[in-house]
Order: sequence, then structure tokens, then C-alpha cells
Amino acid sequence: MTTTAPPPTPARSAPTPGPTWWERFRGGSAWIVITTVAVIIAFWEFFPQTGLVNRVLFPTFSETVAAFVQLLGGGYWWDDLAKTMSAVAIAWVIGVAFGFTMGVVLGTSPFMRQAITPYAIAVQALPKVVLAPLLIGWLGFGPESKIALAVIICFFPVWIDTMVGLALPSANEFKLMKSLKASRWQVFTKLQLPSALPMIMVGVKHALLLAFTGVIVAEILSASDGGLGKLTKEFASQLNMGLVYSVVTIVVILSITLVSIADVIERRVVFWSEESRARRK
Amino acid sequence: MTTMTQTAPLVRVDGVTKRFGSGDKEMVALSGLNLEVREGEFLSLLGPSGCGKSTALNIMGGLLEATEGTVTFSGEQLTEPNRHIGMMFQQAVMFPWRTTLENVLLPVEIFGEKKKDFIPKAEELLEMVGIKDFRDSYPWQLSGGMQQRAALCRVLLHDPKLLLLDEPCGALDEFTRESMNQELLRLQDYAKSTAVLVTHNITEAVFMSDRVAVMSARPGRLVDIIEVPFDRPRRPDLQTTNDFIKLVAKARQMLELQ
Amino acid sequence: MAQIAVDSSPKKKNFLRSPYMLTIALLPIILAAWWLATTVTKSVPAILLPTPESVWIAFPRVLGADGFGDQVLRTLTEIAGGFALGASVGFFLGVLLSSSSRLRAAYLPFLSALEAIPTVILAPIIIAWIGFGIEGKILQAAIACFYAVFITTLSGLGLAEPNAVALMKSLRASKWQTMVKLRIPTALPVIFGGLQLGATTAIIGAIVSEFIGATGGLGYLMLRYRSSFDTAAYWVIIFLFLVIGLVVYLTIWYIEKRFVFWRRIEVTRPDLEKQ
Repeated sequence: MTTTAPPPTPARSAPTPGPTWWERFRGGSAWIVITTVAVIIAFWEFFPQTGLVNRVLFPTFSETVAAFVQLLGGGYWWDDLAKTMSAVAIAWVIGVAFGFTMGVVLGTSPFMRQAITPYAIAVQALPKVVLAPLLIGWLGFGPESKIALAVIICFFPVWIDTMVGLALPSANEFKLMKSLKASRWQVFTKLQLPSALPMIMVGVKHALLLAFTGVIVAEILSASDGGLGKLTKEFASQLNMGLVYSVVTIVVILSITLVSIADVIERRVVFWSEESRARRK
Repeated sequence: MTTMTQTAPLVRVDGVTKRFGSGDKEMVALSGLNLEVREGEFLSLLGPSGCGKSTALNIMGGLLEATEGTVTFSGEQLTEPNRHIGMMFQQAVMFPWRTTLENVLLPVEIFGEKKKDFIPKAEELLEMVGIKDFRDSYPWQLSGGMQQRAALCRVLLHDPKLLLLDEPCGALDEFTRESMNQELLRLQDYAKSTAVLVTHNITEAVFMSDRVAVMSARPGRLVDIIEVPFDRPRRPDLQTTNDFIKLVAKARQMLELQ
Repeated sequence: MAQIAVDSSPKKKNFLRSPYMLTIALLPIILAAWWLATTVTKSVPAILLPTPESVWIAFPRVLGADGFGDQVLRTLTEIAGGFALGASVGFFLGVLLSSSSRLRAAYLPFLSALEAIPTVILAPIIIAWIGFGIEGKILQAAIACFYAVFITTLSGLGLAEPNAVALMKSLRASKWQTMVKLRIPTALPVIFGGLQLGATTAIIGAIVSEFIGATGGLGYLMLRYRSSFDTAAYWVIIFLFLVIGLVVYLTIWYIEKRFVFWRRIEVTRPDLEKQ
């Protein structure tokens, strides 16, 4: 469940400070980025004007920017933003707590872990979004259905990563604890939990993204309560594509921000870990 | 310098310096190395870790470029890997998705030659190192020593003039290491190739070599060259003779004096 | 509860005491809990979870309904098509970016953004662009699964040991030879992880896309059953999706086992001496 950018060269053992942002910018690839962006914008601006595509569906870049400014200036989407983000936050907290508890309860004993694995695979294989219409039907169009769906979708990686993480310490590490006559609780808090933390953090980060997805799905599917998903769908059904792209841009910015925040938290919490350690199985 | 043969050296390392990084992070790995490797000899580069001996070896193999200085191989300047130079690494580097034989034949594929033509030779080599029965096994079914033997076959398949050995036995246990070293000597003699071995094991260096180049750490430079006069083939009990122990002590002293 | 970890004990041959006995024992417990909650205590509303019997009874009705096979086929086509498209593009871009640090530096940030974006937000756009047809579902599924395959390919291709890379270099192997003979085989176990994840997300992409607007497919069928309050039939399709998910998972797992038989690879990465 870990997907992170690859180290192109083997990581050095000494924590040397990486190149600064500016150094990297000058490092030779900046012009590719700038050229690419320029080409995309130029294409976006001029292609719709050729009449080869439907102008309504494909507004020009400047029209989209105008719509974006209009959206930002209008201010009415603040309410939707708040609705979406609060649902994501609540669902994330519940999902993480639930997943972590499941992982600890089912993960500390190897016997239980093995017994539960087929069910874990089944839960993983089931696309949990199939429950969305049922949850909306049951809980209505309010925030509850969004939160419920997001929790169901996002608890899973936390559960699995906790379970797998608790099994990470090696036999020798367990032997060391045993030789010290550590209690079960001590083995858990002093060995298993710290060893599992890097992996759990990956799950927690993943859960944030999934909670976001869950909330957006519920918002697009349900009819009345607000939210960014709802906004997108509404604008799309009015074929106001400039506004659709604007909302999607906001969602993209939000999600990248969320991931960056999660990354920072992860690096603070598990500063001692190497990515690779968490990937050990 | 003794006067064995007056032929031109196979490899000539001329004032080679290697620096990594730049500015504050610049690190001099190798400083003004001069070295001649004679045709047919077994030469060891002995030094503590971080003395740049592996760097020197990688430059001699054309894997790394020297910051300053040149390397001449067979009278020509060396700037890239050469198919007459075979390299062995600390790990056997066996691809786990290939059988032993397929691993040995890897160079044939890379060189774009016909595999069929090389199978008899590969099998002969596998037989010589005693793992012919494992030709269709996968590397993970082999012990570390067997893997390294297979790697030896791979490197000898194209009769390299020069063997560059980067602690090929470094990852093996003491017993395996000893028999593997015997194997190396035997096959080097059989293939009539020249060998350069990188090691930080003094006994190993003295036992294997005709000459031992002792290097110092940071920045890596050559301290001195010890001539090892013992006859070949060398047997393990050589290591308990007085002359041998004296040479080892001499090498150790040189390493400690720095 | 069992004593903590250290699995040093010899393998127990006694199946009755193996963990899988518990796995099997849990099944009737789960069914009983379901039955209790829906039939006896009625603590779960019927519009969310119907009784086990009603779902059981609904099975032949749903599976035998007119044109059911077509709907299944349609959804499976969307999933397979989307997966094939997204995985190939992901693999191709992964190989492309891994072969040039310039391209990586320039485009990885853009492509990494896809990790963060809930791709379902694009569904309304896709529908507006190409309508409710099957093509849109395939595109949605492809977008959903692209990233997992792309990033695992990219990171997997970087996993080749420095010594193995040095060996290839010492043999003067071309970039292409190093890619085909070393990097791709090394990356395969990781890529399969990405395919596994990608397949799951492709299924999700296809379903969500059908929920949002479709003229056919299992998602469309589910919405119809829900609006007629036929929750039992709805649950039949949920189980069907569970089966689809499991079959896809096991298929990829099996292919991986056959194809990446060398998985017992030791992961050792002593760095090339840099001094």
C-alpha cells in the first residue's frame, strides 16, 4: 500500500541536506517544465478557437481563468468547501481510529492475524463504493452519509498497515525483549508499535486521500447537501465547463495540500525510518 | 623493482586522481595513483575501507572516469568498459530469474553472440568449479560460495586478459572464502589472465598475490608495493610458514604506520 | 490469546489447531450475527441490510433476470478495458521517466499530483465530454488505475542493485539491454503490487462512473434496484462485486506466482563504494 516517489539513486546513509528548491529549479529541468506548461496553455487557448471541438465543452484557457476568478470572487463556494473538508476531517479521524483499533486487536497475535487474513483480502477485494447508494438511502443527503462512506473506504489501509506493521519486528528483536522479561504491554509499546509506526503512517496518509475520495463520491451521488463534489456535478450538468474546471482545480490544489501536510507530519513522526524499512514484509 | 620480464605492462595507471562531489562536499577518493600491472601477475590492492581501492578498480575497469590522470590498457587509453576486462563484485550478482547457466551466458547475450557456441565452454567452466550439477538451478537455490563460483565462470567465459576482483569473497564466510580463493588462483592460472584483487584482508592479499600494493586512507594513495616471492601453486599451509608471517607483519606495519 | 510472535516453533501439522480453523469458524459466526441483527433484534434497518434469507432468495431472481448477462459483460468490459489502458500507459510512462532523470525532474511532480487527486471528481467532466457510454467508463477506470502502475513501475525500475548495474556496465550493455535484462525483471514484483492495486481502483472507477450516470452495467442495475427498494437484490450485486474483486485479485496473484517465480530474492543493497 505504499506508493511513493522513487529514489533514483541509492539513498546515502548520511543525512546530507538535499539541494534547495532553487538549486533544483536551476538544475536543468526547469525549462522542460516551463515549455510544457506553455505548450499546454497555448493549446488550451487556441485549439477551442479552431472550431474542431465544441466550444461549450472546451472553453479556452482565458475563459477558464475568468471563470476561476468569478468563482473565487463569488464566495458562495466557501460553504461547500467547509462542508467537504469538515466531512473529510471527521471521517479521517474516525476511520484512522477504527482502523488502528482493528489492527491492534487483530494484529498483535500471529494466530489471529493469519486467521483473519482471508477476510482482510475479501474486504480489500470488495469495491466499497458499492455501498454508497445504500448509505445515502439510509442516512439521507446530509453529512452523515458522506462521513459513513468515507469511513468505510478509508479505515482499510490503516487496519492492514497496522496489522502488517505490528508483525515487522524480527525474531531476534522479540528475543531481546523476552530476555529482558518484558511484559506483553512493554513488547507492544516499546517494540511493536515503534516498528509499525512508519507503516501505520503510510496507511494514515493513504486514509486521508481515501476519505477525500469517499466524500467526493458521496457528494457527487447525493442530491441535496452541498460540497465540492456536488458543485462540480451541478456546474457540469449546466455545461458551465469553465466553472467545472475551476472547482476541479480547487480540489486538485486541496488534495495536493493535504498530501503535503500529511507528508510533513509523517516525516516528523517517523523521522527515524527509512522508507524501505516500512516496505519490508 | 625486480626484473622479471621487460615487456610493457598490461595496465598503466598514471597519476589518477578521483574526486567526488564539488564545493564543500568535495571528497578526494584517490590522489595521484601510479601503478603498473604486469602481464600475467596477480596484484592486490590492500587498504582500509575508504582508501579508494574500489574506486581505483572501477576506474581500471572503465566504470568510473578519473578526474585527473589516465589509465592505459594494452597500450591504449581506457575510457570505457572493455570486453577484454572482466569484473567481479562483492556480491555474485546473479539474476534470480535466470538459471546458473543462463547467468553464466549473460555476457554472450549482451555481446550479441550465439549462445549455442558458448554452452560447451560454460559447462566446462562450471565443471571446473564443481557446480555443473547446478547448471539448471536458480541462484537462490545455491549457497553464496556457489553463486560466486558461477560468477567466476561468467567472467572467464570470454577469456578476459584482465580480471578485476572487487573483494569477490568479501561476503563469504571464512571457510568458503579460503576454498574460493584457491579456485580463483587455479582458474586465473588456467585462463592465463592477469588479476587485480581489491581486499582489506592482509593474509588474503599476501597469499593470493605476486605483488601487494598497500594503500592509505583519505585521500587514497599508494604507500608501497610488497613483492611476494612464494612459488605457485600455493597451498593453504603456506600461511603458517615464517616467511609468510613476516610478510604479513610487514604489510600490517605499513598499514598501521600511516 | 496466543503468546507473542517468535514463530520458532516447528510447523504444526494439526489442522484443527491451525489459524484457518478459526477462519472457517468465523464464517457461521458472521452469518449468525447478520441473521440476529436483521431478524431477531432488528437493529439494522432493512433498507441498509436485508435478512440473509431474502438475499438468498433474491439470488436466482437477479441472476436470471432478462439481460443480466449483458449488464455483467458490460461492466467487466469497462473494468478490463480501463485496466488494460491505464496499466499500459502507466507502465510505458514509468519506463520512459525512469530512463531520463531530466524527464523525471520535469514531469514527476505533475504525475505525482495524480496520487493526491480523487479521480472521481473527473467523472462529471468525462460524462460531459463523451457521454454516458461505455467509452467514458473505460476512460474513468483507466485514469483511476494509471497512477498505481506508473509509480510502482518507476520505483521498481530504480531498484536494481548498484552492483548489478555495474556488471551490466562492465559488459558494455546498452541502455535497452540493461532495461530488458535487468531493470524490468527486478521491478516485476513491485509492478505486480501496482497492478494489484490498480485493478482494485479500476473496478472502483468503473462502478462510480456507472453510479454517476450510465445506460447499463451493474452499477446502473444497482441504482434501479435501490430506487425500487429491492435491497435484497442490491446485496446480490454487492456479493457479485465481491466475487469479481476476488477473482481479479486471485488471477493477478496467480500470474505473479507463475511469472515472478524468483520472488525469494534477497534484497541486499550494499552501495557501490563511493569513497
